[in-house]
Amino acid sequence: MIAGRANNSLYIAALEERAGRLGLYKGQPLANARAMAPALNVRSADEKQDAALLEGMVEWCDRFSPFVAADPPDGLILDISGAAHLFGGEAAMLNLVTQKIGAQGFAVQAAIAGTIPAARALAKFAALHIAAPGAEAESLKRLPVSALDADEKIIAALRRAGLKTIGQVMARERDELAARFGKAFVAELGILFGHEDRPLNPRRPLPDLMAEQRFAEPIVTGDAIAASLLSLAQSLGDILEQRGLGLRRLEASFFRADGAVRRIELRLGGASRDADRVMRLLQEKLEKLHDPLDPGFGFDLIRLEAMLTERAKAADSDFDSNENARSEIAYLIDQLTARHGEARVLRFVQQDTHIPEAQSVGIPAQDRDFAQQPWTARHRKNDPPLRPLRLFEKPEEIFAALDTPPDGAPAFFRWRRARFDVARAEGPERIAMEWWRKEKPTRDYFRVETKEGQRFWLYRDGLYDAVNLHPRWYLHGVFA
Amino acid sequence: MSYAELAVTTNYSFLRGASHPGDFVEQAAALGYAAIGIADRNSLAGVVRAFTAWEECEAEDRPRLLVGARLVFRDGTPDILAYPRDRAAYGRLCQLISRGKLRAPKGECFLELGDLFDFREGLLLIVIPPAEIGDLKPLLAGLGADAWLAASMLHTGEDRRRLKALMRMARQSKTRLIAVNDALYHHSDQRQLQDIVTCIREHVTLASAGKRLEANAERHLKHPAEMARLFRACPEALEETLRFAECISFTLNELKYNYPHEPVPPRKTADQHLRDLTEAGLRNKYPQGVPNKVRDLVEKELAFIAQRGIAHYFLTVHDIVAYARHPDRNILCQGRGSAANSAVCYALGVTAIDPNNFEGLFERFLNADRKEPPDIDVDFEHERREEVIQHIYERYGHRRAALTATVIRYRSRSAIREVGKVFGLTEDVTGKLADTQWGHHGDGLSEKQVRQAGSDPANAVIARAVHYAGQLTGFPRHLSQHVGGFVLTEDYLDSMVPIGPAAMEKRYFIEWDKDDLDALDIMKVDVLALGMLTCIRKAFDLIHHHGDERFTLASVPKEKAEVYEMLCQADAIGVFQVESRAQMSMLPRLRPEKFYDLVIEVAIVRPGPIQGNMVRPYLKCRKQFLEDRNFVFDYPKPGPQHNQGELKEILHKTFGVPLFQEQAMKIASIAAGFSSKQVNGLRRAMATFRNVGTIGEYRKPFIEGMVKRGYDPKFAEDCFEQIKGFGSYGFPESHAASFSLLVYVSAWIKKFHPAAFAAALLNSQPMGFYAPAEIVRDAREHGVTVHHPDAAWSDWDNTLERDGDRALAVRLGLQQIDGFAEKDADTIMKTRGNGYTDFDDFARRTALSRRAYVTLAEADAFRGFGLDRREGLWAVRRLPDDRPLPLFERLGAPDQGEESIAPLPAMPLSEHVLADYRSIRLSLKAYPTEFLRPGFDAEGFTPCGRTGDLGDGAFARVAGVVLMRQRPGEGKAIFITLSDETGICNVVMWTQQFERFRKEVMGARLLLVEGKVQVSPEKVVHLMAERLVDRSADLRLLSGEMLTAVAPGPRHPRNVRILPPSRDFH
Repeated sequence: MIAGRANNSLYIAALEERAGRLGLYKGQPLANARAMAPALNVRSADEKQDAALLEGMVEWCDRFSPFVAADPPDGLILDISGAAHLFGGEAAMLNLVTQKIGAQGFAVQAAIAGTIPAARALAKFAALHIAAPGAEAESLKRLPVSALDADEKIIAALRRAGLKTIGQVMARERDELAARFGKAFVAELGILFGHEDRPLNPRRPLPDLMAEQRFAEPIVTGDAIAASLLSLAQSLGDILEQRGLGLRRLEASFFRADGAVRRIELRLGGASRDADRVMRLLQEKLEKLHDPLDPGFGFDLIRLEAMLTERAKAADSDFDSNENARSEIAYLIDQLTARHGEARVLRFVQQDTHIPEAQSVGIPAQDRDFAQQPWTARHRKNDPPLRPLRLFEKPEEIFAALDTPPDGAPAFFRWRRARFDVARAEGPERIAMEWWRKEKPTRDYFRVETKEGQRFWLYRDGLYDAVNLHPRWYLHGVFA
Repeated sequence: MSYAELAVTTNYSFLRGASHPGDFVEQAAALGYAAIGIADRNSLAGVVRAFTAWEECEAEDRPRLLVGARLVFRDGTPDILAYPRDRAAYGRLCQLISRGKLRAPKGECFLELGDLFDFREGLLLIVIPPAEIGDLKPLLAGLGADAWLAASMLHTGEDRRRLKALMRMARQSKTRLIAVNDALYHHSDQRQLQDIVTCIREHVTLASAGKRLEANAERHLKHPAEMARLFRACPEALEETLRFAECISFTLNELKYNYPHEPVPPRKTADQHLRDLTEAGLRNKYPQGVPNKVRDLVEKELAFIAQRGIAHYFLTVHDIVAYARHPDRNILCQGRGSAANSAVCYALGVTAIDPNNFEGLFERFLNADRKEPPDIDVDFEHERREEVIQHIYERYGHRRAALTATVIRYRSRSAIREVGKVFGLTEDVTGKLADTQWGHHGDGLSEKQVRQAGSDPANAVIARAVHYAGQLTGFPRHLSQHVGGFVLTEDYLDSMVPIGPAAMEKRYFIEWDKDDLDALDIMKVDVLALGMLTCIRKAFDLIHHHGDERFTLASVPKEKAEVYEMLCQADAIGVFQVESRAQMSMLPRLRPEKFYDLVIEVAIVRPGPIQGNMVRPYLKCRKQFLEDRNFVFDYPKPGPQHNQGELKEILHKTFGVPLFQEQAMKIASIAAGFSSKQVNGLRRAMATFRNVGTIGEYRKPFIEGMVKRGYDPKFAEDCFEQIKGFGSYGFPESHAASFSLLVYVSAWIKKFHPAAFAAALLNSQPMGFYAPAEIVRDAREHGVTVHHPDAAWSDWDNTLERDGDRALAVRLGLQQIDGFAEKDADTIMKTRGNGYTDFDDFARRTALSRRAYVTLAEADAFRGFGLDRREGLWAVRRLPDDRPLPLFERLGAPDQGEESIAPLPAMPLSEHVLADYRSIRLSLKAYPTEFLRPGFDAEGFTPCGRTGDLGDGAFARVAGVVLMRQRPGEGKAIFITLSDETGICNVVMWTQQFERFRKEVMGARLLLVEGKVQVSPEKVVHLMAERLVDRSADLRLLSGEMLTAVAPGPRHPRNVRILPPSRDFH
């Protein structure tokens, strides 16, 4: 079952039939449900994912009708005016839709009516019902009042007054109802019964940031494709400019005459709508494809779609050289990434930990979320740096001699067969490992300077104690 | 080589320190420290714990204990440790912290450097340099003499560089450098726990905590030799710690407690004044002359009080009680506790138990151990206690009166939740682990419980979380105010302990809890709230209002046989203390006949005597006694050289079974020959949470002591087991006696004034075991007429009505209606005048919000206007949403025309009943099960009230609404109370079966129970459950509605449940 959170407590948001059989119900506090069935398998509700799923369903339903709208949290509205005959009539279509969605593992209830509220009410309380045109009222009569799309309080009030079906409500005088529940409620009733009309509002978000070009004669040559892409990039750039937006992610779709579609995604490190730049990056990407674009018999449609945009300043507003330099670097990063792949072009980001080797990680340089992260170094003026400039990926074991327990630095050590005599040392900096992961010895780090003036960062792996008489020594980095 | 650690942060610096104060003291002793200073963050909350541990410390050369605080400022000043040189400076430190606390919200302390200067005198200060040292010279110069600069060697990598810098700074500013290790825990093993509390504090997981955690495990108490090695470059810093400690003479022993002097008039001694008040009280109580028995007792007590010098204590209590009793206020109150059961307290009006009438209770006080502090708790009406509390603040001032603190500690449930979060376990897993405990007590989770929660204890993360949760259990989490323990002083209290604001407005509490106060011999008076006193006072008012005399606790007719007869029938719903299931089944067995029997009744049904196996032996003897009044119990005797009757003296009133804490103490001191120190230790082991487990230490000396004095070893062992049973739930006779008076008085009201009793009970809700529905049902079964709440007649309170000369009837008040506001009821009562002509008149004159009318209509409260529930609702819906402005209201014309509408569908009775339950949680029209009865009959169910008729051993199937579920602390049984229109059925289920029927027990509103009927010789009926079936779905048959899916999202339970939930007790 799924648990949702409201008013700081957990409650059951959805449950399987099996859980329902245990006497659990929607809206029940989780603690209460647990007390009844301790072995519950509980997942947290994720409204975002649910909404995304519903959006996905909207798209998927395109196949039935061009006018599809989501009816959150868990409904879909299809305007099937003029579409039903394609599927063999309303009844056949209703069956088909129900069955197809059901086949994907959803519990589904559907109904057809002349108005949205009527269809919604029927779907919830009389699934698979088809209201004859103009006869919504007749169909709705027997439904409980909770099928009305009205405030819960109104429904409760109706029920308390003994009006338990929609039919009983319909039998009351309009004035009587209006005096009690307001004119809006009466108007809603009118809409429900189809007395008053309200146009269907297809709520499907159209990809408004899109440019496409159709070709009467499919195009095959690289030049033609490039020319098309450039002009598309320009028109897209114009749309973006009007809206003050820049591109972060772009999808190019190539529709082949034989029906195959190839989609290429491009990411940008900074928002841009510069057609030339987009074009060059696209070219880079296309050239580096493992399986190159194959036009076959030619593309009859090419489309550029902005998948992710963000606010961007007008292109010519900036004479700041720093800004220009930054944008040059961003362009370089984009270019390198397009050529070598995300995992190859990295930027270091500081991590919040005491463990030296974990203090930085590389992440794709294009990920701008981390671009502005400053490095904080604990370093005071006139004091030598605490950390070496170069940290070895793997500490190298050394032979250290004449260190004085419990926490002295060695007098000399051998590393890569060379002997280094320690002239000066500072430390220890004692760093304990993260005990909740895996017990590892505590380290004592030393900054040492050899007689020759080289500076190293050494550590003793483990403290001197009764069980550890000969801790090992490692060299972890070199100072400049 | 020696050393004194001065920078110690204990776990009383909540979620920073990771060791108990006592652990630091013990570790310091083990390491041979010269001194240990406790310095928590802007707090002295932990110092008494350290002090107690220090006093118990048996090390030959124990370190000195220094008391201080770590001042943490919010103006950027580095932390400063402050140690008072002497008592006066200690007072200033308390005042300084109090000032910071009073300007901050509860639990915080806002200090600025300027505050320190105001209380600077006599404080030795140690500046703790921050990570970025900066320039501390101006600060040090400002602090002047008696200021030190701390240096620590914590393996940061730059220790020596830093030490050099600090040495230079100290030299330049002419201050001395002092070594500290800034300890957060007493031993390096505690580092993990310290990381965990840091994560809890910062609301992060271990994995994401990063540098919020300490880099290493160095912040513990280190051996002096190790400290010397670390500070080898600056040995003088180490020596300085010893010099520092020598500058301090203050110890907590110097805190001297003085009683407030207010109650004593000038030029009179406290003893004289107490005598005068006592004499006046006696004249008042015994107008015919003071009986000799009482006179003797009073003289003995006054001599005893004078000798112990505690007259002030009695006067202070009297002062508070006199305020409450004043005719202007007339707040009902009663004292309890050892000192409360004294003849002097009777004379002073603190207790209403007349020493002339009752044998034996009153010597208790005189026989009390001299070491024991006098103990009086005073219960007040729960609705009016706040008046008393505010009076105390007014009379003594906020600087001299404050509430005691309660230390809120991690219990295993809260610990596993928090620790689980830190380890990144989901709420789901930790929730399951925590839920394996029914109540909120317990010490750590067992492996079995972990498995029960469906988690694998072998899973490393869970195992770790469980392990550290166990360690965290018992850690203080925050301070909260004690329910009513007041500390009153003659001197300024804020010079003895810091005082801060409580979460409740106008409440202030100190940083110490009652154990701390005990340890320092500071007196407190418990000003407690008791619902039953409110109920009794309201009943007295109603009785008086309807023509009878005005009763008081003391004037209620004593020892009425009818009252005891009623109790013997287990007819005790609503009666104080004896209305629980267990008490009700005890009453017919114990058969109380006189007051002292009630004292035993109150004390015996407690986890202590039950666990100590005292109930059966007592009942056996009681039975013999009831059969043969000359029954003499044969007491075990000690060896011939001792007093043969010593046990009889202690135990004769309870047939040889120790039922009271006092008896247990007596046995220990007389029969086992315990020293008074041992007795005190045993008492403390029995009383306080912290010492759970230490009681075992007394087993051997106790049994050996008794055997040595010639008792049978088996008997000695039984005695100890019984005493151990008191462990967590001991009940002293003195408390039982005070409670028993309320048992008697409430039973008397129930017997002779049942209507007033029911109304008063309803007006005092929430209290007691029973929901209003049961109280009303009980009243009706006793012949009281009860009327539905009605807008035309009802007040806010439940009232009494007399129709003609008939008996008094209860009119339910508007307060019974869920969601109806008191101020709306006030309006209705004010505008009612000689009554309303009809609904329109009512609506026009009262002008309430639409919501209020809807609430009334839903409660079916318009019948007085001739509208039933549906008609009422329909009429109310038509009222305009917003009220017209007052100016227009004058015009008064109805703004809506007459409307003639078709009648609404009639509401079936069963639906009315359900609707009644929804809004007033009971129905006078019918009982829900009545509608199901035909079906139940067809299935062969026995009605609840007839279960006993089937006879002992019969098999029965009984269905009813679940009223109550109870699982007593450690009990092996679960009690469920079912009810239907015929009565109540008491179900018992063994815990072994609980798992099988968990779902039914926890979830069913209507339950079918199958099992064997058990009827005891005293006619106590139980149904021993074998199988449970959840029949809640049947309830839906009552509503004519189509079954509809429940809408998503959390909703008010009222909208989901058909009946109000059962009451559950642990």
